Amino acid sequence: MRKRELFASRWGIIFAGLGMAVGTGNIWRFPRIVAQQGGGAFLIPWILFLFLWSIPLLIIEISMGKKTRSGVIASFGKIIGKNYAWMGTFVTFVTTAIMFYYAVVTGWCLKYFLATCFQDLIKKDSLEFWNSFTSSWEPVLFHFAALGIGAFIIYKGVVKGIERANKILIPSLFILLIIACVRSLTLPSAFQGLNFLFSPNLARLADYEVWLNALSQSAWSTGAGWGLILTYAVYSHKKENPVLTSTSLGFGNNLASLLAAVAVIPTVFSYFSTQDFSHQKVLEVMQADNQGLTFIWIPNLFSKIPAGSFFLALFFLALSFAAFSSLISMMELDTRILMDAGFSRKKAIALICMCAFLLGLPSAISMGFFTNQDWVWGLGLMVSGFFFTIAVIKYGPKKFRQNIISTPDSKVRLKKWFDILVTFLLPLQFLVMLGWWLWKSYSGNPDNWFNITSPNSVGTVLFQWVIALGLFILLNKIIAKKMLSNKNDS
Amino acid sequence: MTLEALLFMVFIFAVCLGGFAYSLYLSSKNK
Repeated sequence: MRKRELFASRWGIIFAGLGMAVGTGNIWRFPRIVAQQGGGAFLIPWILFLFLWSIPLLIIEISMGKKTRSGVIASFGKIIGKNYAWMGTFVTFVTTAIMFYYAVVTGWCLKYFLATCFQDLIKKDSLEFWNSFTSSWEPVLFHFAALGIGAFIIYKGVVKGIERANKILIPSLFILLIIACVRSLTLPSAFQGLNFLFSPNLARLADYEVWLNALSQSAWSTGAGWGLILTYAVYSHKKENPVLTSTSLGFGNNLASLLAAVAVIPTVFSYFSTQDFSHQKVLEVMQADNQGLTFIWIPNLFSKIPAGSFFLALFFLALSFAAFSSLISMMELDTRILMDAGFSRKKAIALICMCAFLLGLPSAISMGFFTNQDWVWGLGLMVSGFFFTIAVIKYGPKKFRQNIISTPDSKVRLKKWFDILVTFLLPLQFLVMLGWWLWKSYSGNPDNWFNITSPNSVGTVLFQWVIALGLFILLNKIIAKKMLSNKNDS
Repeated sequence: MTLEALLFMVFIFAVCLGGFAYSLYLSSKNK
């Protein structure tokens, strides 16, 4: 039997974890959400939920992975019993479904980086370029390329592949973001953008939408509840402290988001100040959807600044680095699960690549399908986070804190507040988020809110969730037996 | 840029950068 590979150093899991957390959501979603939610005031609840939701869930995940030394499904089975392994199967499926279309997004980033370098993207009409790209066969080719590069990295193993790649990607990403910030802040009228981003209009805090968007942004951007950091923790050292690793990831992720916002928002303000457009127009641009802002507006914005082509290439390179470092964590999650089931790393990767390519094809070809999957499984992460909370509540929060989180030599230990947070605050946050989403969906579209054929309805989400959950509960005995009986320790 | 926005920016960056740096520092000491 081969001995399980561990990260070469303590920094290995921190770099890999940062790679997992810092993704395209930090660079293209965060600046847009801050602008939508009125700028500075949003940052207060966003920081608060880092402590109330994201960091506790990261601590739970790291502790489970480190204790069980197994992937997500077997971890749930080992912690709360094999009858509940279906919760881990659901968490795995949600992240896997996201991986299918995330590989497509990674391909887009790669294409745009290459197009900036070799096709003079900056001189083209960005809307026309986007439309002709998405209606061609190229997204399929770049989807394949993204999976191929990801597979190559994880095939090299934990130390030579994942750890080494993230030790290059993450410092490079931070350097690129800092350069982009310096460029953005040296543009004319950039300080108007900075003023908007950091003016704490406290009256906005009375708006519940600001709080709920802050919670969802924090949860999804840090990767809390995805099962990804649990997978990396399987390869952590015995002395690894889950609390310190989680706070490093949480704060590091938020820092990357802030840098991205400083790079994007002042650039948008600077562009429109030269066009004599109103403040309202700036907000309209920032509120365009994810693809709209990144792939249509960003090339436009950079075309108007000195050395724009160079900085646009830099922006898409940073975006590609962020996307790849997250994609490999998603591919590793499935690799670990298949290795738990007895597959070799090589066979597991081949199977995952084949499935991800085929099941990602509909998203590469159809934007409608892409939007639907992003909506259904993006929201599914809320349920994934809740399942981790249930696991700790069922195990016993105090017992979990004393036996699983704390190690005999750890200098930083959690106190009783952790038990209260897990027992009351985490479930409360989940219920409020779920209730808010249902209410908003119903009140915004009372006639069509439950239509399962509509791509953005409550009906389509619940329909796909129920099918997945039903299937995993039905097959639980078989899946749990396979995951928990294998002795593969590699 | 207003003084209020400037101070708030310093505060937010101090929390994120300070939290990140302090966690890394404690991690390195916890070997």
